[in-house]
Amino acid sequence: MIKVNNVSMKFNLGVEKNFSLKQFFIDFFKAKKKEKSEFWALSDVSFEVKKGQVIGFVGNNGAGKSTLLKIIAGVMKPTKGNIEIYGNICPMIELGAGFDMDLTARENIYLNGAVLGYSKNFIKEKFDEIVNFSELKDFLDVPVRNFSSGMVARLAFSIATIVDPEILIVDEILSVGDLAFQQKSERKMKELINGGTTVLFVSHSVNQIKELCDKVVWLQKGKVFKIGNAEEICTEYEKKVLEK
Amino acid sequence: MFFKNIITNFKKYSFLLQQLISRDFKVKYKRSILGVVWSLLYPLLTMAVLAIVFSNVFKFSTPGVNYLVYLMSGLVMFNYFTEASNLAMSSVVANFSLLNKIYIPKYIFPLSKCLFIGINFLLTLIPLYIVIFATGTGINVYHILLPFAFICLFMFTLGMGLILATVSVFLRDMFYIYGIITMIWTYLTPIMYDISLISTKLQPFLKLNPMYHYINFAREIILYNRNPQTFTWMVCVFSSSLILILGIIVFKKNQDKFIYYV
Repeated sequence: MIKVNNVSMKFNLGVEKNFSLKQFFIDFFKAKKKEKSEFWALSDVSFEVKKGQVIGFVGNNGAGKSTLLKIIAGVMKPTKGNIEIYGNICPMIELGAGFDMDLTARENIYLNGAVLGYSKNFIKEKFDEIVNFSELKDFLDVPVRNFSSGMVARLAFSIATIVDPEILIVDEILSVGDLAFQQKSERKMKELINGGTTVLFVSHSVNQIKELCDKVVWLQKGKVFKIGNAEEICTEYEKKVLEK
Repeated sequence: MFFKNIITNFKKYSFLLQQLISRDFKVKYKRSILGVVWSLLYPLLTMAVLAIVFSNVFKFSTPGVNYLVYLMSGLVMFNYFTEASNLAMSSVVANFSLLNKIYIPKYIFPLSKCLFIGINFLLTLIPLYIVIFATGTGINVYHILLPFAFICLFMFTLGMGLILATVSVFLRDMFYIYGIITMIWTYLTPIMYDISLISTKLQPFLKLNPMYHYINFAREIILYNRNPQTFTWMVCVFSSSLILILGIIVFKKNQDKFIYYV
């Protein structure tokens, strides 16, 4: 179960440029100006996700969907508000994060697994399953550097989707590799989502959200515009987008 | 409660820590022919070069003790410090792409670098002992106290690494500045010369450098066959704990802001 309570997130756009010593001294000697370039990516967002629910997020670019997922995944801390999470989270946000190109596929399975928070025993146990799914058995001891991008994606996908988490965060349904693998990976994702876990799902495909989600949160400019039944909200969202 | 949290957290991420360290090892030696032998050879070669330059050209010597052992003991320890603190400094920035996507405790990167170089450091003790025996210096019972100096060195380095990693996130110029600082630091630490060569007025300033005391602790044992003075023990404990605690505080206070400086 996840409870998001009045979460707000402020970005300070001006501060980001303050990188160098030169800039530091310029700012230091200039009369202090009030930072005006504040940007609220999220303001006062609250909702609840029950166990086993699949909840989708819609909204146009910059509505705050990815920021919200990052906050729930623990990557960022909200400026205001808090989040209660019960259960272990698997953020399936980025494939292959933490791959080391100089290591072999075998070594990368362990490294990437560790990065994703798997235990040693879990990886050992699931090792064959990962290898079989990725169809890379013959390339296990080849450095990933020599892989094609499709092979890297296949390996990354297989490692990321081996989990059985209580809460799954999905940013777009991923379909990678060649046509055959694309279908296989899409099936696997849908299996994971429909497998009884709690899922937070962001997608630009309204059809996928309609198909997979129970409930939808519609974000607009960092605020919750509407929450409700997937079918209704999606239809309304589609209408609104097409109007423009 | 707080400590219980730390322990469960640490248990959860110890596998990742282990993987990161073994990754660094594999990558370091993967494409070199001599591989791990370089860890043994490199300090020996550095020592040889410095010994030729300083004892023949500049006529440095250390009265009563062997200059090679003197040089080697200082070099091995100081190299650990510079290498580990440099890697720890860049470790957070280098892993931004990861930190931006997945929650991983951020301290794990500087810590893994300090441990990785630490294991490498243990390997460099082999050439150190080769020099100790080859020069006829020999060992004594106090050698069992050496790990104390190494632990202090590790704590100090980790503390510095945490501070440097934090600063370098906000100020990328730190990478260049620290390069110069380590160069100055190398010459201000009596590694190649004996502190008695410095005028007595300046000596107290050189002794403000914690690195001097860790190296001195080891040299008292290795070269002078005696238990270091209580004062040296105290300085080692206090300076290393102080810097480590300071490093942890600085890092912890700022780590939530790292993400905005990607």
